[in-house]
Amino acid sequence: MRRTTAWICVLACALAFASGCAEVKPWERETLARRDMAWDPDPLASQFRSHIHWSKEGSLPGGEAGGGGCGCN
Amino acid sequence: MKTHTCNPRLRHPRALLACIPLLLLVSSAAFGGDGKVSEGQPAPTFSLPALDGGKPISLESHRGEVVYLDFWASWCPPCVTSLPLLDELRTEFGDRGFRVVAVNVDRDADKARAFLAKRPVGYRSASDPDGALPERFGLSTMPTSYLIDRDGVVRHVHPGFRKSDIDGLRAQIRDLTAAPPAKRAR
Repeated sequence: MRRTTAWICVLACALAFASGCAEVKPWERETLARRDMAWDPDPLASQFRSHIHWSKEGSLPGGEAGGGGCGCN
Repeated sequence: MKTHTCNPRLRHPRALLACIPLLLLVSSAAFGGDGKVSEGQPAPTFSLPALDGGKPISLESHRGEVVYLDFWASWCPPCVTSLPLLDELRTEFGDRGFRVVAVNVDRDADKARAFLAKRPVGYRSASDPDGALPERFGLSTMPTSYLIDRDGVVRHVHPGFRKSDIDGLRAQIRDLTAAPPAKRAR
């Protein structure tokens, strides 16, 4: 009986949290469409930073293949 | 002696676990947009206040014309590309009965007015800040456009916009404007 009650409580909590989920419709994405909301707001700057980072690490960037073969990273 | 008055099935957590897919199904049905307007369906009619404060804009008043219904917003980057190109199409096919009917969905209509002041176009825009019309059309992305024939039937749904899309649209508009209304032809 206690286990059942516990399960019901867990489910009720899950449902209560799920009710907080709201679908943002495409026409409601004004805030999400802002540049500063992007995962990578400035790809050029992040590429530049990544280049400096991996140069200082003295290795090839993680998850990337080697460059043009000059060995200059 | 203990007595249980609850449903014996509820004693088994597995029975409860089995309910989870059912709950997911119910919630997905609640979230899913079933009322999508697609090709071959009659376009829902509407009348909305104009962004310029003039006469309300309605789809019904364009019956007998080929209409490009465009949902746009000032914050939507592809709209910056699409608006001037649509204006070109309007100029090109205007005398053949082609009209662009735009519906702006900005929450703040002033932002849309400021956008149009910077990038003026020759067609009018309706304002729907509450998004009731895109809800009825079941928009899946911004911008989305509907090419509607002279009989008020949706002939093409165009989600998103790229500069290269314009040639395909031009060809479709050319075909639709060349065709007489089916109801009148009968």
